[in-house]
Amino acid sequence: MLQPKTMTRLLIVGSKEQMPSAVTELYRHHVYHITDYTDQGKEGYEGFRIGQPMEGATELSTDLIKIRSIESIFGLSPDDYLDTKKRSSRSIKEIIERELPAIEQEVSNLTAQRSAAEARIKVNEQRIAELTPFSGIPLELGLYRGYESVSVIAGKAPREIEITVPHEKFIASDKGNNTTVIFFKKADRATVEHALAEAQFQPIPIPEEEGSVRKAIDTYQSEISQLTAAIADIDEKIADIKGKHGNFLAACDEVLSADVEQAEAPLRFATTELTFIADGWVPVSEVQSLKSGLAQATGDKILVMEVEETGGHHDSHDHSKNQPPVEYDNPGFAKPMQSIVDIYSRPRYDELDPTLMVAIIFPLFFGIILGDIGYGAVLLILALGLQRMLKGEAVQQLLKVLRNASISAIIFGFVYAEIFGAHPGALNIELWHPLISRHLLIGTHAHHQGDIAVLLVFAVWLGIIQMTLGRFMGVYNHARHRNMLHVMGQVSWIAFMWGALLLIWSIAAIPLMPDLTMLPPIVMGLNIAGIIGGILVLAGAIGIGIESPLELIELPSVISHSLSYTRLAAVGLSSVAIAMVVNFIAIEMLIEPQFKELTAVGIVLIIIGIFVLLIGHLLNTALGLLGGGLQSLRLQYVEFFTKFYKGGGEKYNPFGKKRNLTED
Amino acid sequence: MVDLGVATLTLEMVAESQMGLKALGAGLAVGLTGIGAGVAEMGIGSAAVGATAENKDIFGLALLLTVIPETIVIFGLVVSLLILF
Repeated sequence: MLQPKTMTRLLIVGSKEQMPSAVTELYRHHVYHITDYTDQGKEGYEGFRIGQPMEGATELSTDLIKIRSIESIFGLSPDDYLDTKKRSSRSIKEIIERELPAIEQEVSNLTAQRSAAEARIKVNEQRIAELTPFSGIPLELGLYRGYESVSVIAGKAPREIEITVPHEKFIASDKGNNTTVIFFKKADRATVEHALAEAQFQPIPIPEEEGSVRKAIDTYQSEISQLTAAIADIDEKIADIKGKHGNFLAACDEVLSADVEQAEAPLRFATTELTFIADGWVPVSEVQSLKSGLAQATGDKILVMEVEETGGHHDSHDHSKNQPPVEYDNPGFAKPMQSIVDIYSRPRYDELDPTLMVAIIFPLFFGIILGDIGYGAVLLILALGLQRMLKGEAVQQLLKVLRNASISAIIFGFVYAEIFGAHPGALNIELWHPLISRHLLIGTHAHHQGDIAVLLVFAVWLGIIQMTLGRFMGVYNHARHRNMLHVMGQVSWIAFMWGALLLIWSIAAIPLMPDLTMLPPIVMGLNIAGIIGGILVLAGAIGIGIESPLELIELPSVISHSLSYTRLAAVGLSSVAIAMVVNFIAIEMLIEPQFKELTAVGIVLIIIGIFVLLIGHLLNTALGLLGGGLQSLRLQYVEFFTKFYKGGGEKYNPFGKKRNLTED
Repeated sequence: MVDLGVATLTLEMVAESQMGLKALGAGLAVGLTGIGAGVAEMGIGSAAVGATAENKDIFGLALLLTVIPETIVIFGLVVSLLILF
């Protein structure tokens, strides 16, 4: 919680003979985050070298590529087979040798046939396109050529062409772009061409075929339909093979990917002629089991060293090298939020992980903004429905975030007494008296006025609390690095903010906030709270200035960031307004008046009203999702994280993979 | 003779026109700040999309930079709410 998992750096040293079994064991444990060894590459350097892939890596990769290409032909993803029974990887390997070549042969034959057919279809379509212009001309195709003294020109022309020399003309009209075929004496060529050029004549090639045009086109078309049927046939066969072998192929993919990854692992190790060294990180809790596993697999012929360097105590300026990878360590309900924090940046190993905070605050803010039982329920159903339909880790996590957020929206819906914006407004509905009212005076039945000022101040309060929390987390982060200057800076910010608040309280009475205007004034019209506030502001500003004079420009951000939280109320109110307006237009303007006297037009209007109601609320749900989600996310990213969070940690990516389809 | 140059203002008319001016002010507050935020986000947004296309890892930072000017329009919305209520 609030801290990434503690990592231990492990050096694994052994002779190259032990390498394969050690790699297999590491892969099986799936906990060892390998730090890639980088070769210095200097001239004359005689130390460790990057290792060579193990024997057989090339063949394995070739097989894997074959399988992947078949998978891409099938449009197959290994995720589709998650629910099937696991196969033994040993049997898979046998089947790979026996069956893969046959399957590959069959598939490549089929795809070759398919692409040949597709090419043939293209050729035929081209022929048809060439023939079509001539279909309107009553001549057999053989008559277009083979004359001694007569020439033929065919082409498209926008209008009829005047030619002065003796000739024969055939015209097939086609919407201002007529096909014209002209027969003339060879001797007159120059004259004819001149006339044609003036008439914007575009020549087209005459097809080299015999017989009637219509018949030729029909032949080609029937050939195309045959080929299309053949392609459908081939596709069916491919789908057949996919159905028969899909599961097997997905399992092959998994087994071979594992083998290839293992065979290529030495590329990440430092090696000499006879030994290898692997450098990497393991969560502390896994160290023992990994050690004993390695000892067992290699018969104790390998050295596993824990390097005393748990990280976390580095100087903050030197964090690029040898920082442990970061793996979240959060309670179950906060886990979905990890993907949201990852979008911003993975935490560094030596700073606080804000996931837990965000996991509580994000749904809270979302609820405050959306705050409607109806919309919340729609989103909840949506989230739960999509959770069943969609697969994939990341999507599932995001849907869980949505689920939590919509539950919070429903809870706040009870607080605000809102269902689809249905307060007393267009309809005379009073669910119950809201704890805090966001109701607006829209519609004839409206009688509540929203507690706008209260809502705004409430939002600012949340902001003040969250920003103070952020600053305190910043203090903690800097204190861990013994970086006292920055600790002082952060404390100064807190002092400045609360000092400013005290000053404001002593001058003006604000709802929901302590009213300190009653205290007797002491100096310059300021009372005791005002003086303390003033001192805090001054001390804070001086502290911030000492940390970095440039930061002084940022002082107004105390105000702007606090006010930025008012979006919690403002965005929510705008969505309430939209909901109420939709209800007003649909119910009060369109539907309700028709019930007094039901006419045919009235029924149409009622249908339109229902339509408006549905579309309006659908739109508002989408807007609420976007507004609520993005706005509250932004408050985390901009107003909260900037106070303490740097991010940029390396993702913990252990060597190995979870087996879904196969087992040993 | 009726003097067309002078119209009498009743109390209701004054109240109504005050209401109208308030609504105008509120509208201006949201509208103008909306334009401001839009103009500001225009440049940042296009640059952010370009940067994200180059390097997917900075999506979080890009989103953050894009939404910074959005506070302007929220201020406008808050001011207009305060004017109206």
